[in-house]
Amino acid sequence: MIETGVAYTLVIFILLAAVATALFRDVLSAIVVFGAYSLGMAILYTFLLAPDVAMTEAAIGAGVTTILLLLTIARTTRPSADRLFERINVPAVVVVGAFVLVLMTLLPDMYAVGDSDAPIWGGGVLETTPSLYYVQETFGDTGAQNAVSAVLASYRGFDTFGEAVVVFAAGIAVLLVLKREVFT
Amino acid sequence: MTAELINEVFLAAAALFVVLAIMMFYRAVAGPTTQDRLLAVNVLGTNTVVILALLAAGLDEPWFLDIALIYALLNFLMAIAISKFTVERGGVL
Repeated sequence: MIETGVAYTLVIFILLAAVATALFRDVLSAIVVFGAYSLGMAILYTFLLAPDVAMTEAAIGAGVTTILLLLTIARTTRPSADRLFERINVPAVVVVGAFVLVLMTLLPDMYAVGDSDAPIWGGGVLETTPSLYYVQETFGDTGAQNAVSAVLASYRGFDTFGEAVVVFAAGIAVLLVLKREVFT
Repeated sequence: MTAELINEVFLAAAALFVVLAIMMFYRAVAGPTTQDRLLAVNVLGTNTVVILALLAAGLDEPWFLDIALIYALLNFLMAIAISKFTVERGGVL
């Protein structure tokens, strides 16, 4: 009961921070407020029992993002802050709102946290739980000795490939921002 | 009974701190200067550490404290980066 109260208050805080970040006219202020957004997200991830994501958000959001964004605005020009908030772009808000509505139609299909019918417990879809399936069938399916490597490079190989492309693009972007040719 | 009551008190304190975070966020938005916003977000960072610690106690999940520790260690980075940025423009690192 109190837990849901904490979670909903957190969501309100995160929404406020996100809207403020999007609407600030001054880029530096937007970067600072984005730090507040990251703090809220880290607590929410922790609350939803995702410690790995929360730790990444803590490490990236508290340090790296701010420094990279600051480096970027140091290399570019800031528009003068003649007013506090940007004017709202109505067509963009309509498009984003419609997209959010489409995403919300997926919500009824999601399982509640801890629902014993969810696929992670094998409910109705598989004969075993997914983790047991991977332990038993990985070698027969892929021929890989290591189950973790098999999941990363075979079962979700395209996903890993896409991630590698994203990391490569991000590395190039960092080099461009830092105006260096190689990482030293 | 008493243990549950104590956990609920911890959770209620966490909820109160989240409400306080929202109130602190008013200062982060209203400003008026970037320094005000920076200080507000710094206080929010400390607030986050407290909320995580209270949740760790209230939900009996000790690993929440690891994330609280990471925040306690990294909270100063943003303040230093933005201070250097405002003093010597462009010198972030």
